[in-house]
Amino acid sequence: MTNIPLWLIPLFPLLGTIILASIAVASSPNKKGAPEGIVGAIAVLLPAMSFVCVAALASTMPDSGIRETLCNWIDIPLLKVDIGFLFDGLSRIMLLFVTGIGTLIALYSIGYMHGDRGFARFFAYINLFLFSMIVLVLSDNLMLTFLGWEGVGLCSYLLIGFWNKDLKNCKAANKAFIVNRVGDIGFLLGMLCLITIGGAGALNYDLLNQFIQMLIAGGHVELVLPMLSLAAALFFVGCTGKSAQIPLLTWLPDAMAGPTPVSALIHAATMVTSGVYLVARLSNMFVLCPDVLNLILVVGAFTAFWAAFAGLFQNDIKKVLAYSTISQLGYMFMAAGVSAFDASIFHVFTHAFFKASLFLGAGAVIHALAGEQDMRRMGGMIKKTPVTACVMIFAFLAIVGFPGFAGFWSKDLILERIFTNCNWVFTGTWLADGAVPMNKIFYVTGLFTAVITAVYMGRLIIMTFFGEYRGDKETESHIHEAPAVMLIPMVVLTFGSIFAGYLWAESIGITFFADSLAPVLGAAQAFDPARMFNPDMMLEEFIPRVTTHVNPMLFAALGTIAALFGMFVAWKGWGKAHIPSVKGASTAPEGYAKGWTFMWDYVHMFFIKAVLIVAWICDVVVDKVLQAFQWTISAIVSIVGDGATVFQVRKVRLQLTLSLFGVALLVLVVLLTGGLV
Amino acid sequence: MLLHLLVFAPFVAAILMVLNSKEDFRSATRMAILFAVAFLGLSIALVAGGNIATTPVEWFWIPGCKGPTYYYLYSHGLGAWMVFLSCGLSLVALVSARGLLGMNYRNFAIGIFALMGAMNGTFLAADAVLFFFFFEAMVIPAAVLIASFGGEKRKEAAMTFAIYTLVGSAPMMVALWYLLTIADNSLLLSIALAVQGLPEATQLTLLVCFLLAFIVKTPIFPFHGWQAITYSEAPAPLSAILTGAMSKAGVFGFIAWVLPVFPFNMTEISTMVWLGLASAIYGALMALRARDGKKLLAFSSMSHLGIAVAGVFSLSEAMLPAVLVLLVAHGISAGVQYFLIGVAERMTGTRNIDEMGGLAHKAPAFSFLFGAAGVMALAVPGTAGFVGEFTVLLSLWDLSPFCAGIMGFSMILSAAYVLRFIQKVIFGEAKHECKEGVKVSGLEGVAYGAMLVLLLTFGFHPAFVTDSLHLHDAPATAEQTEESAVADEVVEEEVEEEEEGEVEPLESHIVTSSDIAKLDSSLIQAGFSEEERKELIKQVIETEANIARSTTLALEKQAREETQVRGVEDKDYEINDAEMEGHPATDAAPVNEKEASND
Amino acid sequence: MELQPIFIQLLALALFAIGILVAISRRNLFFVLMGIELALNAVNLSFVGFAKTLPDTMSVAGQIIPLFSIAIAAAEACVGFAMVIYIFRNRESIDADTYSDMRG
Repeated sequence: MTNIPLWLIPLFPLLGTIILASIAVASSPNKKGAPEGIVGAIAVLLPAMSFVCVAALASTMPDSGIRETLCNWIDIPLLKVDIGFLFDGLSRIMLLFVTGIGTLIALYSIGYMHGDRGFARFFAYINLFLFSMIVLVLSDNLMLTFLGWEGVGLCSYLLIGFWNKDLKNCKAANKAFIVNRVGDIGFLLGMLCLITIGGAGALNYDLLNQFIQMLIAGGHVELVLPMLSLAAALFFVGCTGKSAQIPLLTWLPDAMAGPTPVSALIHAATMVTSGVYLVARLSNMFVLCPDVLNLILVVGAFTAFWAAFAGLFQNDIKKVLAYSTISQLGYMFMAAGVSAFDASIFHVFTHAFFKASLFLGAGAVIHALAGEQDMRRMGGMIKKTPVTACVMIFAFLAIVGFPGFAGFWSKDLILERIFTNCNWVFTGTWLADGAVPMNKIFYVTGLFTAVITAVYMGRLIIMTFFGEYRGDKETESHIHEAPAVMLIPMVVLTFGSIFAGYLWAESIGITFFADSLAPVLGAAQAFDPARMFNPDMMLEEFIPRVTTHVNPMLFAALGTIAALFGMFVAWKGWGKAHIPSVKGASTAPEGYAKGWTFMWDYVHMFFIKAVLIVAWICDVVVDKVLQAFQWTISAIVSIVGDGATVFQVRKVRLQLTLSLFGVALLVLVVLLTGGLV
Repeated sequence: MLLHLLVFAPFVAAILMVLNSKEDFRSATRMAILFAVAFLGLSIALVAGGNIATTPVEWFWIPGCKGPTYYYLYSHGLGAWMVFLSCGLSLVALVSARGLLGMNYRNFAIGIFALMGAMNGTFLAADAVLFFFFFEAMVIPAAVLIASFGGEKRKEAAMTFAIYTLVGSAPMMVALWYLLTIADNSLLLSIALAVQGLPEATQLTLLVCFLLAFIVKTPIFPFHGWQAITYSEAPAPLSAILTGAMSKAGVFGFIAWVLPVFPFNMTEISTMVWLGLASAIYGALMALRARDGKKLLAFSSMSHLGIAVAGVFSLSEAMLPAVLVLLVAHGISAGVQYFLIGVAERMTGTRNIDEMGGLAHKAPAFSFLFGAAGVMALAVPGTAGFVGEFTVLLSLWDLSPFCAGIMGFSMILSAAYVLRFIQKVIFGEAKHECKEGVKVSGLEGVAYGAMLVLLLTFGFHPAFVTDSLHLHDAPATAEQTEESAVADEVVEEEVEEEEEGEVEPLESHIVTSSDIAKLDSSLIQAGFSEEERKELIKQVIETEANIARSTTLALEKQAREETQVRGVEDKDYEINDAEMEGHPATDAAPVNEKEASND
Repeated sequence: MELQPIFIQLLALALFAIGILVAISRRNLFFVLMGIELALNAVNLSFVGFAKTLPDTMSVAGQIIPLFSIAIAAAEACVGFAMVIYIFRNRESIDADTYSDMRG
């Protein structure tokens, strides 16, 4: 086992942040900005060193993981938190692809951001992001995870609003941060719930797991179940914010305002999956709360379905990918909802590759077209940019689940698990047959979503790469393939999106991925709420887990058919240049499509308007009333004062005389009465 | 000696500043900054040095009072940190005003030093009359400074500020006088004793009088009328001091002069918590609509201090360190934000944030500082603000989850208004030309940067702040080490658990049954044999009493709340003692009492 | 004839009355000030008189206070005359009746 201390992993990007931020600030006065070569080298090498550390640790890690407590962080009554790191099967996989893909995308960004005035600043943010993300997945307690959690949110804010001259970008950034804040409050309150039931120690993952096992062993789950469910639900609220699930998902499409490498790294591959990571990390807690798991399942299914449809209506190439990301995240949460946490993490892993390739490919297209993002103005790009086209087509095959590609393995695994693991039975007296097994419903939803996925992704590929070029003739001559520094990461990621699935190809007998996660997630996966240790606790709406074996080939076949059918529909629909004509500059969908796309924005708008109205009342009514009250009092005082001045005599001598008489009078009174009191 | 120096040397410095020639403002600048650096050094020594006290000197007898009034200073963690804020912010204020006021710099420095002395006196006074004296004295230099260096409506602002706050504390003066007529002397302990003997109605009246003064000073809704105009009209460096240090006098008063003196019942506590939360929400909403950058910061300040007050009255175990960290964090971050909006004002010539914008391209270094300060005001983890807000949230959650939810809402709103603020000031297209020669100077930038670094430092190591409260004195630390040592071992805890009882029921519980958990997990992996599980359950039943106690938190919490109300008296003495640690004999007492009161 | 204490007090009273009368009746500010000075000295005289006639243990105060008040009177006269001169510069008059704008 290697002796690399764990704190070295986040240290490298942190160093990078500090160095690059110093360069950015120091070079701000001069006109040219910092030299791009040095900045780029620092920005890529430091994350790469982290990756090397992770790889070295990963290969020699013992099954139980590596634990390391660095120092104390907060130590007050009721709350004692340490800064500690935990490197186990789960964080190993997350770290590998976070640092790996992070390095690749940093490399890509050197080409993409070439010539930008904020070159050094951009890479400072990217390094800060990698630092936060590493802390998020590496920490051994919830507080430190929250540090990373808000840190990535902050970097996301900074990078979405990177081109801050345009207020539209700033507004998108603000929206991302504020919507995430709502989720973060859920996270915070969830931590407080845990502190209530388990003391500050329960924030530590190991101690929390021990605590939960003890509860199970003692049969005391019922006692804490309300609070534990509340905690789980609140954590899930946090996840809906970070991972863009219903209802907190509106920020992700807007977040596409940032530079494309950012969309690839943060808003597709890494940050948005941290919600899935959190659920997996707290899996032992979540499995105790079947109601919350059902909630996750429902939310995931709705999100996957809704976002897939919304993706169908987008004209902006990055928006399609954004909705696709939301939809895929929905899949991951569906898997988590049926307590198939390893499958959800597997999908996180494969999705990171193919979605990053797609985004980088889209970035290369946008780069080639000098900033054009409207797919209606693209077309026929395969002739001009063959490498990019190949990258995107391979990634496309991966995401639709074409047999053999990464998405095929992970998505079919999820669908299979939904069918076999979901033991939720919906009961209602108003139902004819009394009970509906939900697994079929969710399986069909997932499969149908897969069809739509193939449709909208096919539409994207066809509109971008096939047919005739539909943009300006002037720009056509400038279309060029991206430079090598951008192509290399794309190609590497494409290899990932083809082959990453073979880490867990159950039908050909490879379960490497599942095995490496088993020490962390095994106990939670094995836990069956229907067979809770205590037979009295049997929940009515659950049936024991399906043990009958369904042929996995059937699922694979169904998934393949779904993908092929979707591609067929896409080819039918858009293959013959049924491209809607472009009216105006806006890429926003119109009509019913607009209603569908912005459905949740309208919901948000309702809350925002409510807050603004209350603020207006505070400002215009309450504050004015209070001020009026205050000035009334002061007016009364000054009026009384004006009245009192009447008694003030103007002449000096007369005043003196009067005061003498006053004194005399007082003396007289004192003498006569023998005292004033 | 340190205490005397901190209180009186600023006044001496103010007088010495008069010696400076009015014409040569450079020498005045140098002298003022040197003095301020010295005071900052003294305050750091105070913070680092722990609790100290001077010997009480009889000051005078108030006619009609039973005992004398003392000149008696003492420092405890809270006061020392407030002194640190006042000295530190004064230094930065003097640095940031450098070269801008020209000939008037000397007078400005005189005012700042006088204000600093008065603030230090407020935070260090151990005698009620002395405290009140300084508490009132603070207003005068501040008002004079506003009236002479403020914006367009400075006269009005100064009058509003002075009259509002002085009138607000007038009832306290009457109440204090009444208390002095029945107390043995004017020290905290005897006043508290005197209050205990009074009938309840009188207690309530006195309490309201005291609360009013601090509510106005903080300010808490609905007595915030003076704040927006004062903070916006005052020169930016002064606003920074006012919000960063002076407004803390209100919260400080609640902790140091109201909680130890008066017995509280649940109604009063919840009223104060609700008032605090109301001002948190109200301030956030007003900040959301504010157009004037300084007004926005004023309301944001009100929002944060509302949270602090709500935290104070949550009266949980974690209250004191939580509020202290929050106050320190807010003092620094609000201070630096005021300084920076002052810089923005002098660059663009307006305070209206709608008319600003584009500074990110015009002045990158300034924008970096501004953005960083804004983000740190958002309580992003890793900054001191997060530690403060999270621990206060924890305290409030202890009182009632609903209150914590409301505070969470105000945190969301704070994100909304801070981000709007940042966006309007530094992003977008420039609407004003930058004036030449008024950008952030090197020294200024270093000062602001140092404040930000301080926020980060306290965010990653809040022990710098909380250690000064001496929460973990000898017995407590022994307990802690015991716990951590126990983590690996198994058997002995069974005994120890019973000994420890309810002091920290859950934490000890998790640890102690780790063996059971281990056994169980291995059993699960082995495949859930029915018999073994039965055996396990039997084992756990043995300790069922403990587990039940630890898990039925809802019941226990209710009970704790009741004891809290009943135990307020005990608690008050506890705080009392903690603050009177000038007397070495009481040093170990608080911890013991804490244990006692928990049972 | 033995010096009776009452004589001294009577003299002091007479002087005080004259002083006050001057202060009230004269319009010239200098005379007003002189009247006040006279009244002050009358009080001093009264103190000294008491010091002389009361027993030793109590008489010390009667001797000390006049010393104080003489010193203070001197200071007061300084300030007073300075103010008068200042006012005269502004108003070109030292007639007390012209100072009628003392209404807040």
